[in-house]
Amino acid sequence: MAHLLRCLLAPPCGVRGVRLSRRSSAPRIWTILGALPRPLPGLLIVCASLAASLSLAADLGTAWAQGDANAGKAVYEQKCLLCHGVKGDGNGAGAEHLAPRPRDFTKGLYKIRSSANKTPSDQDLFRIITEGMPGTSMPGWAVLPEKDRWNLVAYLKTFAPDAFKEPAKKLELPKEVSSSAESLKRGKEMFEAIECHKCHGNEGRADGPSRSELKDEWGHPIPPANLAKRWTFRGGASRTEIATRIANGVLGTPMPAFLDSVEKPEDIWHLTNYILSLGPASPDYATLLTVTSVTDAIPDDPNAEFWKKMAPNNVPLMGQVIIDPRNFNPVVDLVSMRAAYNDNEVAFHLTWDDPTESKGDGKQTFPDAISVQFPPQITAATERPYFLMGDANEAVYLLRWEQGKGVAEVTANGPAKLAPIQGGEATGKVVYDNGQYRLVIKRPLVAKGDTRPTFQPAVFTPVAIQAWDGGAGETGPKMSLTSWYYLRLEEPQSNRRFIIPPVVAILTLAAMILVVRTANRAR
Amino acid sequence: MRRTLTAGTAIALVGGAALWFVSTAGAQGGGTVEVEVKYNGAPVVEKLKVNKDTEKCGTEAMIEKVVVGGNKGLAYAVASAPGAKGATKTKAVIDQKGCRFIPHVVAMTPGEIEIKNSDDILHNIHTYSTANPSINKAQPKFKKTMTEKFEKPEVIKVTCDVHSWMLGWVAVTPGVAAVTDKDGVAKLENVPAGKQKIEVWHETLGKQEKEVDVKAGATTKVSFEMKGK
Repeated sequence: MAHLLRCLLAPPCGVRGVRLSRRSSAPRIWTILGALPRPLPGLLIVCASLAASLSLAADLGTAWAQGDANAGKAVYEQKCLLCHGVKGDGNGAGAEHLAPRPRDFTKGLYKIRSSANKTPSDQDLFRIITEGMPGTSMPGWAVLPEKDRWNLVAYLKTFAPDAFKEPAKKLELPKEVSSSAESLKRGKEMFEAIECHKCHGNEGRADGPSRSELKDEWGHPIPPANLAKRWTFRGGASRTEIATRIANGVLGTPMPAFLDSVEKPEDIWHLTNYILSLGPASPDYATLLTVTSVTDAIPDDPNAEFWKKMAPNNVPLMGQVIIDPRNFNPVVDLVSMRAAYNDNEVAFHLTWDDPTESKGDGKQTFPDAISVQFPPQITAATERPYFLMGDANEAVYLLRWEQGKGVAEVTANGPAKLAPIQGGEATGKVVYDNGQYRLVIKRPLVAKGDTRPTFQPAVFTPVAIQAWDGGAGETGPKMSLTSWYYLRLEEPQSNRRFIIPPVVAILTLAAMILVVRTANRAR
Repeated sequence: MRRTLTAGTAIALVGGAALWFVSTAGAQGGGTVEVEVKYNGAPVVEKLKVNKDTEKCGTEAMIEKVVVGGNKGLAYAVASAPGAKGATKTKAVIDQKGCRFIPHVVAMTPGEIEIKNSDDILHNIHTYSTANPSINKAQPKFKKTMTEKFEKPEVIKVTCDVHSWMLGWVAVTPGVAAVTDKDGVAKLENVPAGKQKIEVWHETLGKQEKEVDVKAGATTKVSFEMKGK
């Protein structure tokens, strides 16, 4: 009956049906549609029979999607058990080191749902298994055959059968509103009115005043999402996904549902549009860090227009897990480097998100810090020192900033052995603003002695970055870091690039004219 | 045909009214149980420095875990007569005011609860329950009231994630129930005469029960002494 109604309301009825179940034989449907008799009664009959066959196809689709829990158990024990545990309670051997911790399936509480009630749809579970959860330790399992993933869905449900008694009800989102200057304005207004900043911070960088108080259903601390890094959104970053999270909340976490708590239903979409405007779609990581050549003075103000105009070199950071104490859950996961040099000096502009500005109490919290690491001498031939801040035999050179201490040039022989370089010439300025540090470190291009490198244009210079969120207890070896990258100072700008191309163009034109003339004369 | 229908409706109406009358009359025919809850220990109050919304929440939050009033009376304990079904429906109301749930503990019969936000800042109603679906709904400053349904009997913990110290309890009971006042006294009205089980629940001191003989039209007193854990 419902199909018939749908047919009446939305001819051509076949189109929806085909989309409903991709496994039905589309060409056959189109043949039938093509042969549709024109008069309406006939159309209705065909529609009805078509609908019947389509609903059958849809049922077959569900049967396939239901999966086999027993077969799923075998896959679970091979792939999922180490984190999620034998009993599915999220207490696997690896659980201790993961934040957020692995899902406890026995509660039947799932963060990511497209449903209006607490029950996630099978498709929701299938999608998370397939694509994983960005920003967490949960990888995507697209490598497994589709059937195995559906079997896993069936098996997961057996851990909390009661939670799945009520079938998933589809969430109806308000009518979509596309992004516009007006929508963004309204979105910002709503963002402030419903006080998203309490947890997510004024600019969405997860630095709101309630941050430290947030706990999940299991009593574990849980940070709010950094809305400026939407590639880390657990449930995906598409428009619909973001709107669904706002409307529905994230189950088992402090994120509440806002569907009935905005002024007008379409505010959900204005908020979505606004959140999408808070940061880029992807971090677009750099492979080579470029230092721009300039002729003018380089500003030391981190907020200067000069730096804003420059494209960032984004570098991902990982937790240090090689030596004790290890950092399994690093806070700083991205540093944006902008850099410039002129005849006298080189300057590095670093931007990174840190939800707490920490000077440290020396017991549980420590000063925030960051360092840019280079070999002490830059020569093409030498081997690079150990990336983890050097070792006893080979030191590294650091341009280091520490909250409360400022910028210094430092020699390191490992994370615990730092020694300031006498006569260091580095200077710097830092600002902390709404969960973000912006820092400029400057140094003369040329340096004396064998502990400090001289920067030369067009030379591939090894570089690495380390960062510490002291507010989260990071200090010493407990840090975020990169391995060696390469940094390259652009060749100095000269007027040649403005002269040579026009000269070549003129010469080519002259040659062409000459050829044409000669040809004409010959005729 | 039409006549039979009308007659049927009339009979149903009259019957329904009569039934309603009888049941209310029955409830009114009960007695009152005055429950006194005592606690011999010291009050437990935790204090927390507030770092936000201080103009609404103040600079210090008090988390009152055990409130002991005059004569060692224990406040915020829920006294109930689970057997006294058919209690008059009470619609519960909780307010979020000064970043506290007021009242801290509320008793209600299964049905609706009105949740107010008098603070003019964002709160979120986050409930922890098993029998009823738990909710986590935002209540921004412009949403002054919200209505939720708790249909199944249980004690529901209510928190606000924005202000982690906020804690409230909603006791959904099928029977007559009341929360003890600052002197540790709660009055259960219209409890059917005869032997009745009286239960007392407190958020940190647990549960106790006693049986009392309720006399119609009279007040029966019963006293509980909660033990520290």
